[in-house]
Parts: sequence; structure tokens; C-alpha cells
Amino acid sequence: MNRCDQARRLFGAYWDDEVTQAEREWLESHLSGCPSCRQQYEQFARTLETVGSLPRTDVAADLPERALAAARRAAAVPDRIAVAPARPMWIQVTATVALLLVGLSGLLPWLETPAVQSVFARRETRVAEPRYVATATSGTAHRSDHARPVATLADSLFDHSEDVEFILDPVVLHRGRAQTPSRLPKGVQGEQAVISF
Amino acid sequence: MGRVAEDDERAFTELVRRFQGRVGNLISRVLNDRESVDDLAQEVFVRVFVHRRNYRRGSKFSTWVFTIAANLAKNEIRRRVRRRNWFSLDALTEVLSDSLPQLADPTESRERGMEREQLQGAVGRAIATVPEKYRLALVLRDIEGLAYEEIAEVLGLPGGTVRSRINRARGMLQRKLQPLLRKQDAP
Repeated sequence: MNRCDQARRLFGAYWDDEVTQAEREWLESHLSGCPSCRQQYEQFARTLETVGSLPRTDVAADLPERALAAARRAAAVPDRIAVAPARPMWIQVTATVALLLVGLSGLLPWLETPAVQSVFARRETRVAEPRYVATATSGTAHRSDHARPVATLADSLFDHSEDVEFILDPVVLHRGRAQTPSRLPKGVQGEQAVISF
Repeated sequence: MGRVAEDDERAFTELVRRFQGRVGNLISRVLNDRESVDDLAQEVFVRVFVHRRNYRRGSKFSTWVFTIAANLAKNEIRRRVRRRNWFSLDALTEVLSDSLPQLADPTESRERGMEREQLQGAVGRAIATVPEKYRLALVLRDIEGLAYEEIAEVLGLPGGTVRSRINRARGMLQRKLQPLLRKQDAP
């Protein structure tokens, strides 16, 4: 960077009086010996002088009263300015799911404690140990103590330790018109299907 | 401002009276549009009143009111940029060259007065062509005379960024005005 570039970089700070004493002395000595930079600085200074001396803009004389009336109206309807921005739903959904996951992960150590485990253990469905059933040998009434087991493991959740008896009623299906007397007025026909179990 | 926060309407009108000139001038210089100044300045003070309880006691009121004014001016510039498609370039130039209030010095010659008016008009238009982010910093510094630290607070930017924006804005303005200033220097 040559001396002129360095000098032009300091114009703004020099105008704002924000240069060090050494910078000021160096710049002023450079400007006195460099007509090009001096002309540049004069234009820079004139530009800012003109900007700073622009006439002030007058506002309406009744602005305080107008502003007060408008402020009263706006205060009566606060939504006019303070409108809450609409938030997309996915943020709430994601936040809820994340909170639930955090909550559940916090519960995991508690679920593994012996006290909680014992509560769950009590609620388990106890399946009875399978019973050895002796099979009768054909032609003999002798009951052997060395009976062959027919089942060693429970094959379902039913309790095999007790006898369960299912009684099925015979199902009678009547095909055709219903045999029950119709409650409809005479002359009016209706159709019914009766299935009896 | 403390009294305004407690719903004192007389204090509010006094506050408007005290700051309306600076707020109006900021808006006028940033937009280079005299017509919109009253409406936008009114909107600034309405916001001051509506948000009066958000004002932090102890902070500088001028910084707060300039922040509101700068944000409103920015919004207005963006709104106009969006609407620019509906204007012809000539109409836009006409809008930008809106007549500035001329305060003529009675002792000044007619010719000299016209030159000065032309220069002021050209400077106003040149400011309006500087990009918005540089323009606001420039107006706050070189027209409203705010300190760099206060501008940083108003614009919500670091001090270094504010200095750099002001330097760039000044450079742009000087380049735009150079032909005019040279013409004025010529005998």
C-alpha cells in the first residue's frame, strides 16, 4: 500500500477526530506535500459538510396530538402491533416427543430397582407346572408308578392342572320362513331369519 | 419516559414534541421523501407508547427511539423496493427527487441560492442511492451526529462493523458527488 492509499484510509478517522497524535501529524505532513491527496480530502470534507448542513425536515405541528390519538387507538387494540408470530406445529410435536423420550429414559433406572421388579413379578400370570398323567395300559387295570409323561411343558396359557369341560348344545338351523308367529298386522308381509343356537 | 410508562399522556406529548424533529429528519434523509415523514414519525411515537413498558429505565431514550425509527425506515425502504415494479423509472426518479424544504437565506443572491438548492437536492438524492445498510449508519452519524457506540446500539451491530459501513457510505457518496463538486470548484 503506498503512502497515498494509507493517507486516504485515514480520512474518515481524521474527520471524526479519532486518529492518534502520530497519525494526525503524519497525515497533515503528507497532505501538505501531496496535491492529489489534498484535493481528495477537500472533496471528502465538502461532501460531509454538505451532508451535515442539509436543512432539517419540519414535521407537522400537530404531530404530538395526532400521535397521542393514534396511540390511544393502538393501545385499545394491542394486537395491532404485538402480533405473536404463528409457529409451525412440527416444533411443538417434536418438542413433546423429545420431552417424553427424556422422561422415559429418566425412568429406566427406577424401573430396574428391586422394589419395582417385585411389583411386576407379582402381577405375572403363574403357569402351573405340568402334571404327569399316567396312561392306562390296555387290558390291565394296573396303574404303573413309572407312568410315561405325556406332556412336560405347558403348550398354552390355559391352566392344564384343572379339568375343563366344554358342553356344546346342538345347533338347529331352520331354513325358510320364520316359524314364529308374526306380530305384523294382517295383510302386511315381512321377512325374518331366525338362527337358534 | 418514566412518566410515560405510567400512562401520563401529557408527558407523552411532551416527549413527542422534544424528539419529533430528530425522528422526522432521520426518516426524511433515509427515505428522501418529505411526504411520508409525518405518517412514519407518528408511527414511531405510537410504537413508543404501545411498548412503553418495555423501555429499560436508565438506558438512553434517544437510542431507543432511533432504533424504532431506523427499523421503520428500513421496513419502508423494503416495501418500496417491492413495489418498484409498479413504477416506471422516470416516476421513481421523480419520487426520489422530491423537493427538499428550502430555507433560503434572504441575504443570499438568487443565483447562489439556486446553486445551493441544487446541491442540496443532489446530495439528498445521492444519499438515497446509497444501499440501505450503509445509508442508515451514514445518516445517524453525519446528519444526526450520533456517536459510533450509540449507532452500534441502534443498529444492533458491533462497533467495527458500524465504522466500516460509515466509511464505505462516505466513499460512495463522495464518488457520486465528485462531478458536481468539481463543477462547483471550476471558475
